[in-house]
Amino acid sequence: MKVWLWRAALLLVALAAWEISARMLNPMLYVGPSRLPAALGRVLATRDLPPLPGHLWLTLVEIAVAYALAIAGGLWVGFVLGLKQTVGRVYEPLLSTLYAVPSVIWYPSLMLFLGLGPASKIAFGFLLGFFPLTLAVLAGIRQVPATLITVAVSMGAGQWTVFRKVMLPAMVSTLAGGLRTGLALSVVGVLVGELLGARAGLGYVINYAYGLMMTAEYAALVVLVAVAVLLLDGAAALAEQRVKTWTG
Amino acid sequence: MDRLRLLTWQALSVAALVLAWEAAVRWRVVDPLFVPAPSAVLGALRATGGDALPRLADTLLKTLVGYALAVGVGVPVGLVLGSRPMAHAVVMPFLVALYGIPKILVLPWIALIFGIGLSTAALSATVFAIFPVVVLVAAGTRDVDPTLVTVAASMGAGRWQITRKVLLPAVLPSVLTAMRVAMVFALLGALIAEMLAGNRGMGFQMQRMALAFRAPELFAATVIVSVVSIAVVLFLEHLNRRLGRWR
Amino acid sequence: MTPGAPIVVDGVSKRYETPTGSVPAVDAVSLTVRPREFVSLLGPSGCGKSTLLGMIGGLVRPDAGRILIDGSPISGPTPTKVALVFQDPGLFPWRTALDNVGFGLELLGVPAARRREIALGLLGPMGLKGFEARYPRELSGGMRQRVAIARALALNTPILLMDEPFGALDEQTRLLMGEWLVEVRRRTERTIVFVTHSLHEAIALSDRIAVMTARPGRIKDVVEVPLPYPRALDGPDAVALHAKLWAKIREESLRAMEGTA
Repeated sequence: MKVWLWRAALLLVALAAWEISARMLNPMLYVGPSRLPAALGRVLATRDLPPLPGHLWLTLVEIAVAYALAIAGGLWVGFVLGLKQTVGRVYEPLLSTLYAVPSVIWYPSLMLFLGLGPASKIAFGFLLGFFPLTLAVLAGIRQVPATLITVAVSMGAGQWTVFRKVMLPAMVSTLAGGLRTGLALSVVGVLVGELLGARAGLGYVINYAYGLMMTAEYAALVVLVAVAVLLLDGAAALAEQRVKTWTG
Repeated sequence: MDRLRLLTWQALSVAALVLAWEAAVRWRVVDPLFVPAPSAVLGALRATGGDALPRLADTLLKTLVGYALAVGVGVPVGLVLGSRPMAHAVVMPFLVALYGIPKILVLPWIALIFGIGLSTAALSATVFAIFPVVVLVAAGTRDVDPTLVTVAASMGAGRWQITRKVLLPAVLPSVLTAMRVAMVFALLGALIAEMLAGNRGMGFQMQRMALAFRAPELFAATVIVSVVSIAVVLFLEHLNRRLGRWR
Repeated sequence: MTPGAPIVVDGVSKRYETPTGSVPAVDAVSLTVRPREFVSLLGPSGCGKSTLLGMIGGLVRPDAGRILIDGSPISGPTPTKVALVFQDPGLFPWRTALDNVGFGLELLGVPAARRREIALGLLGPMGLKGFEARYPRELSGGMRQRVAIARALALNTPILLMDEPFGALDEQTRLLMGEWLVEVRRRTERTIVFVTHSLHEAIALSDRIAVMTARPGRIKDVVEVPLPYPRALDGPDAVALHAKLWAKIREESLRAMEGTA
């Protein structure tokens, strides 16, 4: 109970500080929370900015496709590396090394190769979401207790049965975590792609507003996107919790 | 499979990939305008190598400034949060929420205020790196074995002595891990800032080459940044191992 | 060697606040430990023996009653008089065995050379010669516990409190450590209060055994162990004592089991 009170207090103090400091500084550059709702209304109504709904839809489609590809690719590579011991031992270190490279450096090449349209955004979203999924599959396979497999084998289960009835159920909660992280990263990938070079999409609209120095509208959009991303991750977290309680 | 065979397989795989790539471009399976041949990339590396150094130095400078800020602020904050359960419980959800928001969203605003150049990129590096630092250090501080604190207290250690002789050494591995992770994030932040709103540095260069369809130069720059990044991470991991012999 | 100091526990009680209410851990316990005596606190799980030990060590404040060490009441950890050893050796993983032993001395400002001298002097007779520069992760469970005991002995206190120090070790190691502790005790003349739930251990090591009841912990009985060291646990006296102790403790153990079930 006390914790919630403190959190509410912290939130209120932060919002108040934001509002007060914004009012004291240049309104062209600093936008307090009180100006945001009106700015959001303007974003939807104005002709100076590209129409939001169409671009929002495009972004959502890009995210969906990127995520689907990331799941497919991540699961496939993860299982190949995880189940085929020798292949895994050769290629997993190479994969980990790639992880040490800041992901954004691949984006200019994707822009060059796929252009400024949705393809490069989908590709980048796929690239970012792919890693956590692969890692989750690998981790999931590793944490399956060896005793469970031994029990199944001792009862006469074949390789495929062991995989289906022992490994997969034992991996589900780790996979759920990977799915959640993969979603978050696919979203980030698409947004980054749109902000760095695009002709359409939510990121494009944000860049547009920033380019026209429509700071309030830009801030409103950013808050909107931030809230949307948090809600999405919150939903994913709930789903992950559900999976964990089912499988224990 | 022993280490030598492993390394041989890895080297052969990479070599095979590069050869296949070269062949694909030579035989026009892929358009050299979009995908440059490895030989062309090599040529570009030789040609632009000289210019790359100052650009790289620029990016690294921004990275290091942002990194220093992130670590300098993040580690103490993490220590405080980790050692006070109430503060931790209250603040953590906000931190996790802030961490989950794509940080690139605030970069245009930072660029608006600080302009195109070092400050924006360094600040961007800080923003990207500070969250993992705080989270990792706070977690490491919370994980300190309470028995160790009890042992010290039973021997009459005062508050300050306990902090200095028990908490700080116990937390060191987490701090080192956080510092290692922060480096990649800081570099990421600096590069993104350069791509979005920069006029110098490797990120800006890559963006420029991409928009000019100069594929060999772009790939050359990408290779340079990748190699430097991997080298830095490997070095930090090596440092980590040497400083943590007792683990 | 400082000769052991007496401990007087006078009507001490302690309650713990839990979300579901207040739980009595120790209830009006009085006990006197004579100088240089080895007293075991024997009782079922949850009977408050660790809490009692914590109070003697100054780590836990009693709600009622007082504790006198060497004639004076205590109000907190007294590293000049009392040293503790816990079930978890609690060695600092970033310090070598030698530096771990010297920790308490370091807090008191003893110079490095002297600390090293004392630590080496303690580790050698414990069979840890050659392991001084090792880190805890390189030592076995029994070795770690010996280093922890050496660390406590380094403070050269008249009183040593031990809370199930061998509880995490396997049976064979536990028996050997018990024999070794008897040796250490013979050489150092300290007052030792030893918490255990093992009858064998209590009989093998102690001059007197204080049997505690299940929660809330009270002293049910104090039994003398007039056997000469080294003790043969299969001798007739020991066996009779074991039966007598088990009779006292059995019903407490049952109550403890039912209480927590």
